[in-house]
Amino acid sequence: MPGLFEGFFRKHRRGAAFAALLLVSFVFLLFSNRAVVIRPKEMGLSVVGFFQKGASGVFRWFGDTAGSIRQLSAARQELSSARERLQEMDRVTRENVELRRQNTSLKEQLDLSQSLPGERIAAEVTARDTDNLFSTLTINKGSRDGVRKGMPVVAWQGDLEGLVGKVVLVGRGSSQILPLYDPQCLVSARLDRSRHEGLVGGEGKDRGTILMRYVKKTAKDSIEYGDLVVTSGLGGLYPKGINIGRIRDIKAQAYETSLELEIEPIIDFDRLEYLFVVAPGTDAEELPR
Amino acid sequence: MNRDFRVWLFTLVALAACIVLQSTILSKIAIRGVRPDLALIVLVFVSLRRGSMVGQVTGFASGFIEDLMNVSPLGFHSLLKTVIGFLYGLFSGNVFIDPFLMPIILTIAATILKGFVSGLISSIFGIAASGFITFAGRLWIEVGYNAVLAPFLFALLNLVKVFKQADKEGS
Repeated sequence: MPGLFEGFFRKHRRGAAFAALLLVSFVFLLFSNRAVVIRPKEMGLSVVGFFQKGASGVFRWFGDTAGSIRQLSAARQELSSARERLQEMDRVTRENVELRRQNTSLKEQLDLSQSLPGERIAAEVTARDTDNLFSTLTINKGSRDGVRKGMPVVAWQGDLEGLVGKVVLVGRGSSQILPLYDPQCLVSARLDRSRHEGLVGGEGKDRGTILMRYVKKTAKDSIEYGDLVVTSGLGGLYPKGINIGRIRDIKAQAYETSLELEIEPIIDFDRLEYLFVVAPGTDAEELPR
Repeated sequence: MNRDFRVWLFTLVALAACIVLQSTILSKIAIRGVRPDLALIVLVFVSLRRGSMVGQVTGFASGFIEDLMNVSPLGFHSLLKTVIGFLYGLFSGNVFIDPFLMPIILTIAATILKGFVSGLISSIFGIAASGFITFAGRLWIEVGYNAVLAPFLFALLNLVKVFKQADKEGS
């Protein structure tokens, strides 16, 4: 009997090695992925669902293309009026930035900057994800520098501080950050002006766009393009008042009870080089901005 | 040193070097955050040259390294690259690889296969990640990027002594 097995494995060495490697990978996945539940019916549904999603995606693409052509002429008209509004918004934004700068300067004169609560660990981005499937930023600071798992990460760009993401893995001298545009990164947020709350998360398509979901539909009239979105501090993971981005589009579907806001992040992730890991106890709204 | 051992060693070193390059220097030339997957092109070349056994084992090893360097669950990239290495190894010795067209075609097919298999794995295991909208724009950027670089990388790897003899290993 052992000779039979030996003969079989010698004959099918390549296939046996393939099966063994697949098995090892599956075991790794089952143990390292918390989302997985080993139930044949659910796994079968997932497999079939994948193909169904693909088929419906193709049909939707054709439908969307036809719809897009119809919308094109209407969009042209909207474009010219939007440009005018954008110019106005740019002017307001510039004024806002200038006011913030003046505000910071005045507070510094009052020595408020000396009393910054909490601690910020400066770090440099040393690597990014190895392929295009996952979103990772690797920084040159780790546990020996005081970085801990779950700490929020911010950066400065264009006179504004913006949220980058959170620390998900900490080594001794380096750490990995899950950026804001990743679908797994969810942040409790608030509109700075109207104070409506929602949940910000990556869309997964493009790092230049994130979405704010679960905003009450009744808030639609009080929301404007260009409104600033900040962290709400709910949940305790992210300090209150860190800038996330500005509203680029407002989507209100008739069949949904909440709004979906498209947000342009404050941070341009492609230009990101230096950032700060925020130690617990720092509340951004208490800081001069 | 045993020739087979040198092939394994060189392949692993080349794949590891590609992975490091992708996560550092190549991110400077990313288009919408998408960069070429050099490790995939090397895996395709090695699998076609040396067969399924080398393809799947080096694919598994390089995938494991990627799993350690990403936020992906352990086993994700190893499973993905094992499948690609094995499948491409099946064509070893049966495909004539010219200097230009075949590297492009084979790499395009490998990148689409990668998008498809990664979508399938993520769907089965419920993994949420930004690249998993299988046939969204990001995949096609990577397809284009890989296709442009494939002939150059194939030509470079053809110069390496351990790959010169395209002998298919026995199964």
